[in-house]
Amino acid sequence: MATHEIFMPALSSTMTEGKIVEWLKRPGDRVERGESVLVVESDKADMDVETFNGGFLAAVLMPAGSTAPVGETIGLVVDSEDEIAAAAANAPAAPSAAAAPAPAPAATAPVSAAPVAASPAAPPTAPPAPAVAPPVAPASGVVAPAATTNGRLVATPRARKLAQQLGVALEALRGSGPHGRIQAEDVLAASGQPVSLPRVAEGSGPAVSPVAAPAGAARIPAPPAASVAGQAFGRPGETVAFNTLQQAVNRNMVASLAVPCFRVGYTITTDKLDAFYKQVKSKGVTMTALLAKAAAVTLARHPQVNAATSEAGMAYPAAINVAVAVAMEDGGLITPVLAAADRTDLYSLSRSWADLVERARAKQLKPEEYSTGTFTLSNLGMFGVDRFDAILPPGTGAILAVAASRPAVVAGQDGSISVKRQMQVNLTCDHRTIYGAHAAAFLKDLAQLIETNPESLAL
Amino acid sequence: MATKGSAILYQPSAPVPFPRAWAWQRLLQARLLDDPGGPEAVLLLQHPPCYTLGRGASLAHLRFDPASPPLPLHRIDRGGEVTHHAPGQLVLYPVLDLQRHGADLHLYLRGLEQVVLDLLAELGLPGERRQGLTGVWLEGRKVAALGVGARRWISQHGLALNVDCDLKGFGAIAPCGLDLPVGRLVDWRPGLGCAALAPRLLAHLAARFGLELRPAAERLEDGEDPEAAGG
Repeated sequence: MATHEIFMPALSSTMTEGKIVEWLKRPGDRVERGESVLVVESDKADMDVETFNGGFLAAVLMPAGSTAPVGETIGLVVDSEDEIAAAAANAPAAPSAAAAPAPAPAATAPVSAAPVAASPAAPPTAPPAPAVAPPVAPASGVVAPAATTNGRLVATPRARKLAQQLGVALEALRGSGPHGRIQAEDVLAASGQPVSLPRVAEGSGPAVSPVAAPAGAARIPAPPAASVAGQAFGRPGETVAFNTLQQAVNRNMVASLAVPCFRVGYTITTDKLDAFYKQVKSKGVTMTALLAKAAAVTLARHPQVNAATSEAGMAYPAAINVAVAVAMEDGGLITPVLAAADRTDLYSLSRSWADLVERARAKQLKPEEYSTGTFTLSNLGMFGVDRFDAILPPGTGAILAVAASRPAVVAGQDGSISVKRQMQVNLTCDHRTIYGAHAAAFLKDLAQLIETNPESLAL
Repeated sequence: MATKGSAILYQPSAPVPFPRAWAWQRLLQARLLDDPGGPEAVLLLQHPPCYTLGRGASLAHLRFDPASPPLPLHRIDRGGEVTHHAPGQLVLYPVLDLQRHGADLHLYLRGLEQVVLDLLAELGLPGERRQGLTGVWLEGRKVAALGVGARRWISQHGLALNVDCDLKGFGAIAPCGLDLPVGRLVDWRPGLGCAALAPRLLAHLAARFGLELRPAAERLEDGEDPEAAGG
């Protein structure tokens, strides 16, 4: 009971888009896991693209001959034949559909990118075009109806936003995207701005807040790449379509409602971890790698917490792959995976993490690099958050929410009072597989490792 | 990777009809798919005169009726537009697991170009790349054409270097969809032939991709002409 997306793969670090040469399967066809579904061409090289999930091809969102940006959803695979119609109907608005026709309200023309879908009745799922302020020069005042005959303006939400910010008239642009869709880069180019790739706001910097900041100080460290003000994707009064990534996250989050979750919290003293981090930071070790390694080493001794519920029963993965949630600056989040984190040394993990984040930023992760996590970490410590809980990603049994480490007055067993740095962690678990005692035992061991022996993480 | 990958070298002496060489590559590709740790392979050969079209190639670049081509015409599973093969052209087909070589198709194409550039440099010839026009160029003429197909990162097809072949066959097409002149090395270095150049091309390939080439102990079967041939 699931819909799996086929993405335009990144076949090269210098590939930004690919041409769909041929669909080897038609909507409704059965596909086996690992079977070639389509052929993508980039430069003078062809690659057969396979599906990672067996089932049925429910929808082709980009027809043969079209070009799609890397990471774009180009097709949908469902588990069973019964789900084809529903998936096709609910197909995530294909790229051009997602960019709802803005100036012309109640555009009735179905979107060109959806037509190959199995169900010809598939309604365009783009939300009814909200009253988007016209991206033309504001001086013109009134909403200029896109008077042109066939003048549907197709642009990505980000392109629209940029056009408003930069005062670029979208009507004057030629889109470089699929079906002439106007991309953010087109707007930037038109405004003379340097074209830059979307950045990632890494959601997993060091869990420690700067020592210099006294408790209660208003100076909360900003995350590396985010702006000071809070993030928004639209302006007041607007309704903005979810982008592909946001839609994918939405599906995953809603799926979690079918999982009986519970949460267990623990307070971990981090003085030793912080001291060790200071020692190894100069060697390129990141706090993300330290936490992932600590979780992975502990998971190795608590395989139940690495397990997940599957139709056949409790599934114990062959490896411990720690996924770490990273917010994307243009919306959505992605969970790059540190594979076999328990068996990979700390320095390699740190390098892998840097590489994964860099390629996530350029939207060039391969599906197996963000979809194979067996356990997830989510860290909001860099914002000074003192506690939170996380939503369980589908297909896994547990996710650990890590908050900031802060100085606290601590009473010892012997009645002594001292100041120690402490952080709260909160484990969300699927109760079908992981019980309270499993979660508690895992957290106790994780705390013990971090509190007493963080140096062992470098071994 | 510091360790040298072992690759089996198939180097038939007589020209090999395109469908047969294609079947060999698919056989070698299938072997590597079945045995992901197995040795890679390299084919170095020449084809009798023929034309091939990439999977997404346009027929607009043919200057003849595809229904009655002057030479055998094959539509094949590689990227790129139409090209021409003929004896006197060295055809190099590496069947590599590209995950061992960076898992990057563009990087692979650039690597193949570099192999030819390295060879030309050895001959004292100023080969060059042209932005957006994959291949190797020499004083404005295209001397090597590239086209690659991959399945699960296992490559087939590769590059064709014009050494002393008859260029007439190129007249019936716009090679690679370009109306740009084609050249052959013998026009720069008289006396040059495939037999002399082949070992040098292999040496540069081996160096560039870190391969240790071992001549094949077996003969590839002849009877595997693909049914799709001749289209």
